[in-house]
Amino acid sequence: MSGKDRTEFQEDLQVFLAEVDEILADTEENLVELEKAPDIGIIQEVFRAMHTIKGGAATLGFQDAVEVTHTMESIMEKVRSGEQELTSDMVDVLFVVLDWLKAWKVSLEEETECPSREEVMNLIKRFASPTDAGRQRSHQEDVEVLPDADRALAEKLDGYLSDGASLYEVKVDLNPEADLLSVRCFQVYTLVSELVDIIASNPSIEDIESDRVGNTVVLYVPGKDGAELARVTAQSVQDVTEVTVAPYRPKVKKPSERTANGAQETVSADKAPKRSSLGRTVRVDVDLLDFLMNMVGELVIDRTRLTQLASRLLVDKSTSVIGNELAALASHLQRTSQELQEGIMRARLLPLKNIFTKFPRMTRDLASRCGKQIDLRIQGEDTELDRTVLEAIDDPLIHILRNAVDHGIENPEERRARGKPEYGTITLSAWHEENQVVIQVKDDGAGMEPEKLKRSAVNKGLITPEDSAKMSDKDALELIFMPGFSTAEVATQVSGRGVGMDVVRTNLERINGNIEVRSRVGLGTSFTLRLPLTLAIMRALLVECSELTYAVPTSSVEEAIALRREEVKTIQGKPALVVRGRIFPLVSLEGALNGDSWTLKDSLQYAVLTRSNDEPLAFGVDDLVGEEEIVLKDMGRMLSRLKGITGATILPDGDPALILDVNRLL
Amino acid sequence: MAKSDTLREEAAKKNDDRQIVAFSLGSETYGVDISQVREIIPIQKIVPVPRAPEFVEGIINLRGKVIPVLDLRKHFGFEKKERDEEQKIVLAESHGESIGVIVDSVSSVLRIQEDSIEPPASVIKGEGVDYIAGICKMNSSLIVLLDLTRIISDAESRSLKEVDLASAVMK
Repeated sequence: MSGKDRTEFQEDLQVFLAEVDEILADTEENLVELEKAPDIGIIQEVFRAMHTIKGGAATLGFQDAVEVTHTMESIMEKVRSGEQELTSDMVDVLFVVLDWLKAWKVSLEEETECPSREEVMNLIKRFASPTDAGRQRSHQEDVEVLPDADRALAEKLDGYLSDGASLYEVKVDLNPEADLLSVRCFQVYTLVSELVDIIASNPSIEDIESDRVGNTVVLYVPGKDGAELARVTAQSVQDVTEVTVAPYRPKVKKPSERTANGAQETVSADKAPKRSSLGRTVRVDVDLLDFLMNMVGELVIDRTRLTQLASRLLVDKSTSVIGNELAALASHLQRTSQELQEGIMRARLLPLKNIFTKFPRMTRDLASRCGKQIDLRIQGEDTELDRTVLEAIDDPLIHILRNAVDHGIENPEERRARGKPEYGTITLSAWHEENQVVIQVKDDGAGMEPEKLKRSAVNKGLITPEDSAKMSDKDALELIFMPGFSTAEVATQVSGRGVGMDVVRTNLERINGNIEVRSRVGLGTSFTLRLPLTLAIMRALLVECSELTYAVPTSSVEEAIALRREEVKTIQGKPALVVRGRIFPLVSLEGALNGDSWTLKDSLQYAVLTRSNDEPLAFGVDDLVGEEEIVLKDMGRMLSRLKGITGATILPDGDPALILDVNRLL
Repeated sequence: MAKSDTLREEAAKKNDDRQIVAFSLGSETYGVDISQVREIIPIQKIVPVPRAPEFVEGIINLRGKVIPVLDLRKHFGFEKKERDEEQKIVLAESHGESIGVIVDSVSSVLRIQEDSIEPPASVIKGEGVDYIAGICKMNSSLIVLLDLTRIISDAESRSLKEVDLASAVMK
């Protein structure tokens, strides 16, 4: 790390950690696959993953991780080459290594102490020990005599020298008794290569990576300063006993035609493209994105205000010219701000992969604990969602999956008895539907019996036996969303953590999403989550009641119609509308808010048709203001949990207005 | 006796005076430490929030942020008063969120001596009331010193309780 300052190190570390995060998630998935069936392609991927982490860890000086990944790599290598067979024991060890790497990553993030690697190493050594060490020793003698390789190396170096540059030989001696010589060589190579261009080395990096090493590494680097830097760097590596630097003497004679100066330029030109190969992405702080989103929100409000100003100017002949210009300006601003808004929204999107990746492992662990065999199939993991929405659905999905494993899928014996394959299948899929993202968790398990659910609800005192008798099967399924309901007779280790499906539903509704359940006895259960793509900005129908404006998200509005008194029917004294053959119970919006839904004041002129909990429902309002894009604003903790009120927004005229969740208003 | 007096004087000098924002509610004068007050704004359009606890007057738009406003009169159980020009909204901050409190009128910023503050008698405070920071004697009148942050957290927990109760009833 010498030569690097701390901030640079921190930046490198952040990039590395992000990379490790991804790699570990992928590896986890791969291991789950690997456990089902050995696949050489997957083994390759795991091998590469370990290799990448090893490289990064070596560069940043994390010895422990280098050793662990290296040993794991050598196991994978043997499997890859067919020397050893992949056993389930081995996969288990791979999982242990993975968990260690996760803990190690967390310790880096939280700047806590690195987890002990002893246990992991002991486990790994069971597979790696005898041959690995032996192989390292046996190669030791070969290294000094590699005639072909030597000549190739000399030619490479002389070719470099023929360009007139000066080359230095940095000879690094390691303690021959040290364990893991190849790891140390690798560390020397990567650390030095971070700071200095290594023209060549003996043994070559390929040999080092394949464990063909002795106790000496020679690095060829250009320039005296480079050589000095390499010396200091190499000395920082564990088990390095001595580092010597000497100018390299060409072995093959070739007359140099160029001047030293000209050559120097060639070298630096060579170096340039290597250093500037930065990626096409940057990392952006979430707070900054939120800030930008808020600012765009303000812009959207201003744009709406401009449009209204323009329409006021257009009414009067004397100002209509300005009005026209203003209207044109406003519509241009509309296009630009819309694109800006979409751009920022895209920047906030993350693929579902981010939370899906941990599910295969989780399912595997849960299933084995319950003695079940379960195959989790994931589809549509590239579907993108706003990161806030993503965060909000993580826990609900975990809960649903847990339930599917614990209560949904049956034991292998039961499944066999029912003529089902022993392997249960849970399908987790996601797709776009209009302006929503739909996520579905479907299992082919036992399904839920409505009668059983009802009985359980009666026993828990949630409903009366009379309620239960009247209840349809569909309503019975809805019981699982009631607070205090849980079908498990005994709370198991897997589910039964005190949170129920009621919390799941509330959490989803809080972000303008919803959840539906379908179940067929003996065939399985499916949960369907519908989520908004984004949270901050939504389209809403603005309505007025008693001179107050309310915003109703258009996602829950079917249409708004003029309310003709003569068309209002009654059902048992309660008003209802019939629109194209469908019956909409009619309530007053204001009345619903204040606890008196069924009284219809004379001032009501329009009806907003909605689907509340999948049932048609009409809300009577005094006036329709129009459809607008609104920005959801938080009302603070004190008002955060009012039923049927999602939050507030600021209207174009600057007044605050409540955003209503018509699904939960009644 | 004499010794403790001089000690107290010295302490008062060291602490310097305290600055409070004084306002009236009905016939009484109240004060809030100036460090708890972020801003005082004139009464503006307050949009009522149905289903919120009674002492929540509604929400206002403060420079693009939606802020809940409490009616201190209602909170203390005083009688209702018609809106007038004198009334002000005192903005305080609690746990990173702004909350407004309606008061009858803001008289001034006062300097008070630390040693003129007395702890409230437990009879006046009443059970479970911990938002009265002290009573200050000023000339012939009394100023009730309030802890705004306490009032807000008090209101918050009352609000959450009410909402929970309401949803339990609705179920």
